[in-house]
Amino acid sequence: MRWSRFIFSSALLTCTLQVIAGDSIYVEDVPESKYDKRIHRYQRHWAALIPTEFVIQNAGNMGIASAGIGWDYGKRGQWETDLLLGYIPAHNSSRGKLTMTLKENYIPWSISLTPRSVSVKEKGRWSIEPLTASIYINTVYGHEFWKTQPSRYPDSYYDFMSTKFRLNIAFGQRLSFTIPEKKRRRFNKMTLFYEMSSCDLYIRSKIQDSSVPLKDIIGLSIGLRLQTL
Amino acid sequence: MFDTHPYDVDVHGEKGVNKKQMAVIESRFADKDTLRVAFISDTHLWLSDARDQVEDINHRDDIDFVVHCGDLTDTATGKEYEWSRDILMKLNCPFVALIGNHDYLGTGDQTYDVMYGEKDFSFIASRVKFVCLNTNATEYDYMAAVPNFDFMETEMVKDSDRFDRTIVVMHAAPYSDQFNNNVCKAFRRYLDFFPGLMCCVYGHDHNDTVSRIYGDDLIFYAIDCAEHRNYRIFTITPDDYEVEQIYF
Repeated sequence: MRWSRFIFSSALLTCTLQVIAGDSIYVEDVPESKYDKRIHRYQRHWAALIPTEFVIQNAGNMGIASAGIGWDYGKRGQWETDLLLGYIPAHNSSRGKLTMTLKENYIPWSISLTPRSVSVKEKGRWSIEPLTASIYINTVYGHEFWKTQPSRYPDSYYDFMSTKFRLNIAFGQRLSFTIPEKKRRRFNKMTLFYEMSSCDLYIRSKIQDSSVPLKDIIGLSIGLRLQTL
Repeated sequence: MFDTHPYDVDVHGEKGVNKKQMAVIESRFADKDTLRVAFISDTHLWLSDARDQVEDINHRDDIDFVVHCGDLTDTATGKEYEWSRDILMKLNCPFVALIGNHDYLGTGDQTYDVMYGEKDFSFIASRVKFVCLNTNATEYDYMAAVPNFDFMETEMVKDSDRFDRTIVVMHAAPYSDQFNNNVCKAFRRYLDFFPGLMCCVYGHDHNDTVSRIYGDDLIFYAIDCAEHRNYRIFTITPDDYEVEQIYF
């Protein structure tokens, strides 16, 4: 829908220019040339890179807090890709560290809590997403961490792991509010969510020794998503 | 509940373990005639085995203290450090723990510093000095003083009026993949300067070998990993010592 709005705006802008240039209200109905089509397609593709959401969340093995941008897509916006920057405070270590996360979310259902009779335009709409499933890769910056084992180790000593990259999975739930059109300033939808997550090393430890308590390897994360487009 | 990162160095619970435990050992066993010391090692993620091991040691009420020869963790996450410490804290007797090569992964060595303390340390019980040396040179790309000859020189003479014999403990033995093998022979020479050197004890290899690594009189006792469910008890009498291998 936003693409049609984009094309419409572009068309409108073109008209305005013509109006100014020709000092006339007469607009010739010229069919879109091959060039125009190509340019519109070109703009449409690049415009797809504009983030549609801002995301902030705490913990989740990505740092004390992470913030970044997200894109939602799919017929019902049921897919999301997030790019987040996180921060691990120094705590007892030599210094604080930055992390980066690439996260993919799948939201199979969205259930409206606001009756259909209520106008979304005027009153907005509350909805819940009873399940979100996420998979994400986190990388931590610092010379202490390596992608694959350094050459100083015997061959295949730490083949099973990287200290830099962590693969995480998470499941969660959401509560969303679509802002009524008149009250929109920067955002059109706000979503509060929580996730329960664990990472590859923790799952591995549970597989190696089943006595590892689940509460030690599953962490909670709370976050906010603000939709702009 | 809120997990910051597996390699976040944010130690909860007991910190500076070795220093506190060594103070107990030194005060409790300064003049004890016969010393019974259990050596365990390489518990990694075999937490259930480690728990059974601790229980087995607790069942014998004649163990004076326990020495863990390193590899307290498998991937050196803060959680793993806490799991293994909490198991060791269940021991009825005092204990100390060395750092193993696995305990270095990520920022694990910094977690060790906070949770246990110095990587080279020593203490005296029954006039025997236990010199615990960091020998994980590979973890530093051989760029650090590992093994630390300065520390060894200091320990040879420090408190010399309080000990007559020495046991040297390390995680990785000379000629292993972790030792700085360029200094194996120099290391052997230095060992001779320790008063009444009895033997060396190490972990890392996940086996129970007893060998004369240098082909001379000095015996090296390997301590097996927790998964193999055995450990050693050293009974140190005023003029000799005995070693038993315990299966649990």
